[in-house]
Amino acid sequence: MNYQAIRAAVEGPMLAAFGSLSPAIPVYFDNITATPPNSTTEYVRINVTFGITNEPTLTSSLDNARGAIVIRIFTEKGRGPARNQQLLTTAVNVLETLNDSPKTDTGVYFKVGQINGPSFSATENTPHFVGRIDTSYIATVLS
Amino acid sequence: MARDFKDLINDVKEIVTQSARQASVEIMNGLAEAGPGYSGQFSSAWYAVEPGQEPGGPRSAGGSIYKYDLRNVPKARFRSGTYYEIVNGASYAAQALDLEEGVFRTQYDDNGNILDPVKDPTNVGSRFGDKRGQVTSGTGFAVSTAPLDWYVTYTSGGAMQKDLGNGVRIGFRQGPRGGNVAGRGFG
Repeated sequence: MNYQAIRAAVEGPMLAAFGSLSPAIPVYFDNITATPPNSTTEYVRINVTFGITNEPTLTSSLDNARGAIVIRIFTEKGRGPARNQQLLTTAVNVLETLNDSPKTDTGVYFKVGQINGPSFSATENTPHFVGRIDTSYIATVLS
Repeated sequence: MARDFKDLINDVKEIVTQSARQASVEIMNGLAEAGPGYSGQFSSAWYAVEPGQEPGGPRSAGGSIYKYDLRNVPKARFRSGTYYEIVNGASYAAQALDLEEGVFRTQYDDNGNILDPVKDPTNVGSRFGDKRGQVTSGTGFAVSTAPLDWYVTYTSGGAMQKDLGNGVRIGFRQGPRGGNVAGRGFG
């Protein structure tokens, strides 16, 4: 099992997608404290969790893992949901691209489940409006 | 002696109902184990209700992680299937499920001493966000007894499907034609 490869399979494309936006949007992953340049800077937090590993399947391969991906988009509060939804679309596009990737002989074969959300929240004591989506995934390590 | 076809249908209905109830028990126990447990109250507030019904509040004042059994799942009527919704009736459920931000305070006993959580903490230290599980090691007294996004991990990461499968298997065995009683079966 290669947990790092599974994590990289989702984190890499997300980082690239948000990094290619203009301006680039900072992305923070697990075990990294979000430190945006100022309190209203837009940013993205992505958490990848692992559920069950090596669950028996109908195939001979046991090198698979299931888990969840939670994506939270932080945009400025009080300016409507449009910008937040725009960034959520970027994240959803990455998930859909991952789902459409064909199975190869090496690397990680990654499929996501249904996407829940987006749901939105904004609390009084924080400067951000938060959009959230989550999904399940199944990843098979092929090499 | 051959049994009437009507009996078979009734047996199937009972098996389905029994399996749904047992699956609800397994899932509620899975949620209680996977979720946060500081006082233990939240773990006692899971309810399997028929669609449209409201859950109650926490069943216990805490002290341990609540253990569910079939008495916690009402016997639903079979209507082209048996349906339960599993919901948590605690007033702070959305915060405990990491779906909403909240304000979290240290909990004290009657003598003013800091209470120990009933579950071993996953993180103790300082808070880096307003979500329940956003606690990381560092200076501070914040305590998290379940990892961030534990609920999504449970429902999407395979554990819920496993508990569901276990519950259905147990329910089938306990049903009117299950393997627990000699001589029963569909054969």
